[in-house]
Amino acid sequence: MREKTALIFGFNDYTSEIEKNISSEYESVSIFTLDKDDENSFDLSDDWDDLDNRFNIENCIAFCILEDMAENIFLTISLRDTFKDLTIVALARDKESSDKLTLAGATKVLPSTQTTANVIVEMLEKPIITKVFHDILYEKSALQIAEIEIQNHKCFDNKYPSDIDWSRNHGIIVLSVLHENNTREFIYSSKAKHHMIKEGDIFVVVGYEQDIKELEKLIGKKR
Amino acid sequence: MIKQLIVDGAYYLNTSSVYQKKKLFFYNLLENSNYKYKKYFDIFMITLIFISVAILIREVKSHINDSLLFFNNYVVSFIFLIEYILRVWVNNSISKIIINQNEYDLMLGERFNISKALKEILKTKFKYMISFKAIVDLLAIIPFFHQLRLLRIFILFRVFKLFRYAKSIQTFTSVVTAKKFEFFTLFIFASIIIFVSSVLIYVMEANNPESSIETIFEAIYWSVVTISTVGYGDISPVTQEGRVVAMFVIIAGIAVFSFTTSLIVTSFTEKLDEIKDMKFINDIAKIKEFYLICGYEKVAKEVVKELSKNSKVIILEEDLEKVELAKKDGFIAVNYNPGSIQSYKKLRINIQTQVKAILCLSHSDVENVYTALTVRSFNKDVFILSILINKTNRNKLKFAGVNEIFYEKELVGIIAKEFAGQPVAFEAIHALRSNYNGVKVEELFISDRVLDSFNIIGDLNNKKYRIVLLGVYKKSKKRFFFNPIDSMILETGDYLLVIGNTVFIKEFDINLHKKVK
Repeated sequence: MREKTALIFGFNDYTSEIEKNISSEYESVSIFTLDKDDENSFDLSDDWDDLDNRFNIENCIAFCILEDMAENIFLTISLRDTFKDLTIVALARDKESSDKLTLAGATKVLPSTQTTANVIVEMLEKPIITKVFHDILYEKSALQIAEIEIQNHKCFDNKYPSDIDWSRNHGIIVLSVLHENNTREFIYSSKAKHHMIKEGDIFVVVGYEQDIKELEKLIGKKR
Repeated sequence: MIKQLIVDGAYYLNTSSVYQKKKLFFYNLLENSNYKYKKYFDIFMITLIFISVAILIREVKSHINDSLLFFNNYVVSFIFLIEYILRVWVNNSISKIIINQNEYDLMLGERFNISKALKEILKTKFKYMISFKAIVDLLAIIPFFHQLRLLRIFILFRVFKLFRYAKSIQTFTSVVTAKKFEFFTLFIFASIIIFVSSVLIYVMEANNPESSIETIFEAIYWSVVTISTVGYGDISPVTQEGRVVAMFVIIAGIAVFSFTTSLIVTSFTEKLDEIKDMKFINDIAKIKEFYLICGYEKVAKEVVKELSKNSKVIILEEDLEKVELAKKDGFIAVNYNPGSIQSYKKLRINIQTQVKAILCLSHSDVENVYTALTVRSFNKDVFILSILINKTNRNKLKFAGVNEIFYEKELVGIIAKEFAGQPVAFEAIHALRSNYNGVKVEELFISDRVLDSFNIIGDLNNKKYRIVLLGVYKKSKKRFFFNPIDSMILETGDYLLVIGNTVFIKEFDINLHKKVK
């Protein structure tokens, strides 16, 4: 189930950028600061009862973006200790803090320095790929990327993903498949041969909106 | 009339692109150590020198073939003569001297003074011809040495020509020259010791029948051999007074020897950084293409790490500590201020031809703006990329001429959105970008060679290689075509965007460049 509320812990330059970008994805976004005078304040103790009472944690995603990495790691470990199933996205400065945040229980780590460096390098070394993916991800072009969950696997009649000519038969390109057991495969990698299409598989596809809709009708639903 | 002809001729030569190009070519070949073909010329000349010396050595006790002797005395000499004439020619410009004199006379309202111009030409040419290197060149070419047996040894002048071609000898000379005052002092000190000790030993020993020192020359020879700590032992003092003198000379000899050694070592130590710098600058000048990173901090470190995998990267950093850090990280870094035009001049970087892009990655917007402005002040075209620390400074970077700006916080926000919106798709794209499990997305360039074999998309047969063709970027239309139809025509300059296993992509790329038709 997709989360409906975003909880952002920390108030800094990252906060406004994250809030600006994710607000359309969630019903509500709440920002918590370490400032005790603020209405939405929090501290680094293990007392999260107030948060638990105010929000349905099962429907929440937490963004830990404190600039002090030690505090951010402590916050992540504290949230994970209290809420086992909460999706936690944490900001990391470098590889070292990224590893620590993963150990602390973050679901996803956003390494800021690494990300900036990667984007710069990609832009310089593979400018066309960068532009195409940028357009796809932000839907500036007619091309879209979509996750489609297989609900009607019978139409593929026990076939392997790589056996189907997706581009010619359906006008789309399948990038990867996420299986029920959460393993991800790129369909043209050698391993993909061993996994038949099953119900519950999630296909990550790129294509024009109409073609994606057609495929959804045929095999399942867009997530 | 003649004067006018000379002036016209000078102007013609000075403006003739063919003449100037040829002169520049020979200048580069003979004098410009950064010219890429100079090393081949130097190797050729060094080979000739060694052949000459080898023939000379062989000639001492054996008969030499006449053709070899002819080669040594005339062919080699002729080549050296040509080289000498070319050096005299490229050393300065006669036409420029004539033009300058003509313009000077015109300015004063006088008639062109040909004798003054001639005098200036002779003065500048003569100044060059009496330089040590030019004299060596001249002596090395005279073939008459062969006729006069005694003078044959002067072929060794050709060895001195090695000074011109061997850089290490030039380095050694420059090191010694830097300490010429100290060496001169040492020379005077040694000369006085030799003079005094020679006279003393001569006075003490010359009248003793058992002593082998009979002339002042033998006394000087003994002094030199002793002071240099060589001590052959063929001549030695026999009187007590003479031995006392010997003791003083030996002690003085130790002082001279240690002083000389320490002088050379100190000179080299002092010059070592400079020599390394010079070598480094020469190496940079030889690199065809590289990225120039201005500032070395966290983002720069990560960027350089990634870029170094496929490209050459050079870091310019003003802070010496950061330069050392970059070197420890295994990168090429120099301690130059990226915000100074002088840095680029000293490093002899040709921004237009050598630099793929300039990356301003300092964690200070002020420094990045300054660096970008510095570069833009002498180059309008180079691609400049900069990181932005405080978003209020975005416009300042734009005004400074930065082509692409990266704001770290914004990127984090965008990635957070990707993750929040479609986490599986986000992970898929992220994995593709970071070569997850050997699967990656790649740009393949369509060259003329590829077009010789593959004209349309349908010819590519990418499925055989288990490659997904995401689309084609058409250069002519500046547009990306997703999932192109089989009949789409390929053109030079297009890019194929393919997804697949790294090995398969490589195989596919090799196949594209194979001529199958």
